This record gives sequence, C-alpha cells and structure tokens, in this order.
Amino acid sequence: MPRPRRSRRTLTTLIALVVVSIALITIDLRTSTHSLTSGLRSVAHDVFSPLAGAVNGIFNPIGDFLAGAVHYGALQQENQNLQAMVGRLNEEIAAMQYQSDRHRETASVQGLPFVSAYRTVTARTIELAPSNFEADIIIDKGRDNGVDVGMPVVASGGLIGQVTQASHTTATVQLITDPSSSVGVQFGQKASPYYGVANGEGLRRDLTVSFVSANDPIRRGEILFTNGLAGATFPPGLPVAKVSSIRRGSVQLSVSAKPIANLDHLAYVSVVLWEPPT
Amino acid sequence: MNGVTPREVVRTLLVLVAVVILQFTVCLNLRIAGAHPDLVLGVPLVAGLVMGARKGAMVGFVVGIGADLLLPTPFGLTALVGSVTGCLAGLVTDAGFEANPVLLTPMVALVGSAISVVFEAALGAIVGQQQMLKADLASIVGVVGVSNAVVSLPLRRVLSWASSRDRSPWRSAIVGGDQA
Repeated sequence: MPRPRRSRRTLTTLIALVVVSIALITIDLRTSTHSLTSGLRSVAHDVFSPLAGAVNGIFNPIGDFLAGAVHYGALQQENQNLQAMVGRLNEEIAAMQYQSDRHRETASVQGLPFVSAYRTVTARTIELAPSNFEADIIIDKGRDNGVDVGMPVVASGGLIGQVTQASHTTATVQLITDPSSSVGVQFGQKASPYYGVANGEGLRRDLTVSFVSANDPIRRGEILFTNGLAGATFPPGLPVAKVSSIRRGSVQLSVSAKPIANLDHLAYVSVVLWEPPT
Repeated sequence: MNGVTPREVVRTLLVLVAVVILQFTVCLNLRIAGAHPDLVLGVPLVAGLVMGARKGAMVGFVVGIGADLLLPTPFGLTALVGSVTGCLAGLVTDAGFEANPVLLTPMVALVGSAISVVFEAALGAIVGQQQMLKADLASIVGVVGVSNAVVSLPLRRVLSWASSRDRSPWRSAIVGGDQA
C-alpha cells in the first residue's frame, strides 16, 4: 500500500478517536448528560469489584513482597520500633494485637461521638487513589446499602471526605485532601464562630484555609469543624482539621491545617447517611 | 499488514483486559512517593511501536476507555491521551526508524510515559480539572516512566503475540512477530 494513503488512514483514525474522546469528555462534564457516563461507571464498578477482590486475593502477597522491597529502609526502621515494642509486651498481648486492633478500629468507626445524631454505614476501603491525579478511595458499600453521592464520610477522628460516585456495591470517596475538595469550616466560640474554607492540596499535604481575616482569633492547634451554613455540602459539627501553621498577611491569614483523621490508614470508614440540601 | 484479523482483535482485547485488571489491583498497591505505576499509559506506547501508528492509536483508545470506566477523572480523558500517544509512538515504527528494540522500547516507554503524564494533567486542566496540575507531577512522572520502562519488553512480547499468528507470546518474539 502506498505510504501517503497509509498515512491518511492513520490520520483519519486518529482524528476520529480524538473527536469521540472529546465528545465523551463533554458528555461526562455536562450536568444534563453526566448520568450517562456515571451509569456506565456504576455498572463497571459493580462488575469489576468482585473480580478485583479475587485478583487481589491472589496477587496481594506478591504486591506486599514487592512493596516491602521498595520500602526496605522504612520497613527496617519500623521493624526496629516493633522489636522495641515487643520487648515491652508479653507474648499473650502480642498474639492478640492484630485481631484487637481491627476490632478497635471497627468499633471506633461505629461509635464516633460527633456523628451520633446521624445514621451511618460502616464500610471497608478496597482501593486507595486509583488515579495518580486525585485523592480518592473506593469503599465496599454502595447504593444497595443506602450510600449515595454527596454523603459525608468520616473515620475515627473526623471528616475524611464525601461520596462522589456510587454504584450498587461500591462508592468513590473524594478525600478532603483532594485538590478539588473544599469544606466550609468554622472556628472560635460556638456562640459567635468565625468562618473559612478548607481546601485540599493533594495526598499527604495539609489543607489550606482561605477567607480567614487578619483580625480573626485563630491559633495553632485550634480544631476546625464543618459549619453547616445554608447550602453547605456537609452537616455541622464534624471535626475536619487542626490548625498547624499561621502566617500573617495584611488582609488575610495564610492558614494550614492537618486533617484530624489519619488519611494514610483508612481500612474502615463510616458513611454518614446525610444528603446535602438540593 | 494493515488489516485487522478477528484473531488479532480477540488477542489484543484479552491483553488489554488483563492490563486493566492488573492496573486496578496489583499496581495500585505498589506506591512509591505517593504515586503508583500506570500500565494504561505504557500500553499505547508499546502497541504503537509493535503495531504501528494506526493500531497504536486504537489500542490506546480502547485501553483508555477501559481505565476511564474505573477512574474518577473525566470520562474519555485517558482514552484521548492513549490515542494520541499510541499514534505518536507508532510514527517511530512507521517512519522506518531502525534501532535495537531492546533499547528502543524501554526508552520510548520511559520518555513517552513522562510526556503522557504531563499531557494528561494539562488536558485535565483544560477541561476544568485544575487540581490535576496540583498533583505531585515529578513523583508521578518518575514512577510511571520507570515502571513502564521496566515492563515494556515483556509487554512488547505479549503485544507482538497479540498481533501475530503465533500460538505462544514468547515464540512470536523469537521469530520476529513484531513485524505483524
């Protein structure tokens, strides 16, 4: 086949694929047609979830081995710490440690005092950050368990994020550290609180708190709670983050805050069955 | 050979399904500096080298759609990146550029993956996902580039098998299945 004709076919194919891709992106981003792609994704998650569970069951030991090789230095340090710990514990406690930790984690998630006013669903994290570009987790509870888009998700300590996609059996939770996440927060005395917005800056990074005036009485260590103002996407009173640093500007303060919940260890989370007002 | 045989389609789809499953199971557990390998960005590059620009673009689109079904990023974004990078990598082969595949493949996977990551983040920002540029791009580029370079040769063998008439993926590489 002559080369120019072959090149034309390649170019035509590429243009067709690019056009289809752009059409799909447009469909996904438009509010009126987003349900088409979210429906497809919901079905895909329902199909993939059991398959992933089976494959993980086979490959996790290999993955753990490779991860161990990659994180050798950190593991060695951890190993030394563990050896020191073992020295302080008797054999009986050491044998019970793993099981009791898991029980305690589940129990603490189920008994969070700040969500006692709401019904919750406890879920297990099955995937952490499937995309390198976003801070999300996938949990093993979906619409069949009452979980839906917009519901807040907490873990022992405080708010961790919000459900952004829900299939029948799984849900995607956008963490509060995701760069597109923003949470309305309040601080100061409950009777006369001050308000701000806590924005995500990426996995393992502190939140930045905007709209804090230079005159607002905020201090390091202060806990930020969801404010629940009219139209807020979270109910009031959920602990979000603790102020870690404050830099003074002439008009506004530059405030950083560390999420209260440990986002590196989210084996179990709790979905608050609260839907934002529409 | 420019036509696509049913055998080639079935084999390629099998490989792509396996890649997506591996990506969303094993690869997600391999995190270095907060980033994980991304086979989905590496497959179109190697497919382009093995199959040429046109098929590279098609493979990139299909594997991208498979990944988009499971990713929180805009639907179609990975497919768009895969189509373009698969086609560009294939131009190396189509242009008749001759080099030792053992050197060329990891090199294209390394550089191409790095470009793909930045391209995807930039496209994401263009369609309104500015947070994608806020991610730790240096870590992602490093992890994705190196991991795709490492797996590129086995991937080349499997994709050579998918696009050849041989029964075994290893035999196709030995007897020159890359020319399919």
